[in-house]
Amino acid sequence: MVKVYSITQCPWCDKVKKYLKSKNVDFEEHNIENSDEDAKACEVLSGDTMVPVITPDDKEYVVGFDKTKIDTMLGLQ
Amino acid sequence: MEKTSVKKDIVIIGAGMAGLTAALYAGRMNLNTIVLENAIVGGQIANATGIENYPGFMTVTGKELIETVQKQAENVGAVVDEFDIIERLELQNETKLVETANYIYETPVVILATGMNRRKLPLAEESKFANRGVHYCELCDGHMYQDKIIAVMGGGNAALDAALFLTKYASKLYLVHRSQFRADEITQEKVKQNSKIEIMLETEITKLLGDTRLRKIEILDKNTQSSSLLDVDAIFVNIGVEPNTALFKDQIKLSKRGHILAGEDCRTNLDGVFAAGDIREKEIHQLTTAASDGTTAALLAEKYIAKLREVN
Repeated sequence: MVKVYSITQCPWCDKVKKYLKSKNVDFEEHNIENSDEDAKACEVLSGDTMVPVITPDDKEYVVGFDKTKIDTMLGLQ
Repeated sequence: MEKTSVKKDIVIIGAGMAGLTAALYAGRMNLNTIVLENAIVGGQIANATGIENYPGFMTVTGKELIETVQKQAENVGAVVDEFDIIERLELQNETKLVETANYIYETPVVILATGMNRRKLPLAEESKFANRGVHYCELCDGHMYQDKIIAVMGGGNAALDAALFLTKYASKLYLVHRSQFRADEITQEKVKQNSKIEIMLETEITKLLGDTRLRKIEILDKNTQSSSLLDVDAIFVNIGVEPNTALFKDQIKLSKRGHILAGEDCRTNLDGVFAAGDIREKEIHQLTTAASDGTTAALLAEKYIAKLREVN
């Protein structure tokens, strides 16, 4: 399952979530403001707590709304 | 892959208040309308945490306000596409072309409502520390600095609002501005009352220092001409905005400040091309005047289209 690390007020996180929904990609949202565990996982994955971070497998990830990179990583058209 | 051509009555470039208001009016006139946005729907106000000067609301977040306008526009048939990327505009001919990553839109009317982008910090070290201590979006990145020391650079309403917002994270916040505040009195008073904020006026930031992240800023007291170092974990830059004209600056008349030259009727030097909102050269740039421009541009675009249909 694709994970999106996010925070509550974040226009780019909103854009990523809207984009994944528009492409019918199921995802779990992990709000790093609400969970220390998620904040730590985000930092371990990307080396930072900048959001949004999108990952399909907790290995590969994209930071921010980079449509081309997200499409490539998730195999979207 | 060959791109599909699609005919539209109006293509609106930019989904801020001006663009979405234009879409709302165009949709209500049964015009086949699309709004394209390369960045964030809402533009600058997407980051606004509390708007208190938009008529009809005591206070409203930018997100709530713009989502409502978007829904209003979509309810009357306008389409908002924030995922396709606008690549090229051809505005000179009667039929204008708007090429995106996926489509080529053919249209008699383009409304340019691309708004403004935040001005970058004009220091050589900016790129080294971008997103590593130098930030432009307090809503997006403020959470990274829980219990840390933050500096905000700027003296307008946006800067002071950013400073107030960031005090929810910061243990200490320096508000640094090169001259006197331009923000309204109510906001200035809120800043002065906030015990976490230290105000530093007549002060320039002259250098950024650090390793892989920003650690210190060098500041210059303009009155004494003395420099000193401040320990900070981040700086949020809010030193104004510049018009977003990259897509069309070679095709349309711009003012010396780089805004589109268009009168109160929003008509540009090109037939069928209108400019609305902050991108238009005018004295007052407010959310209310952006909505006003969107209204004017859409209503006059409809008249322009009606005339073209009479002739053809």
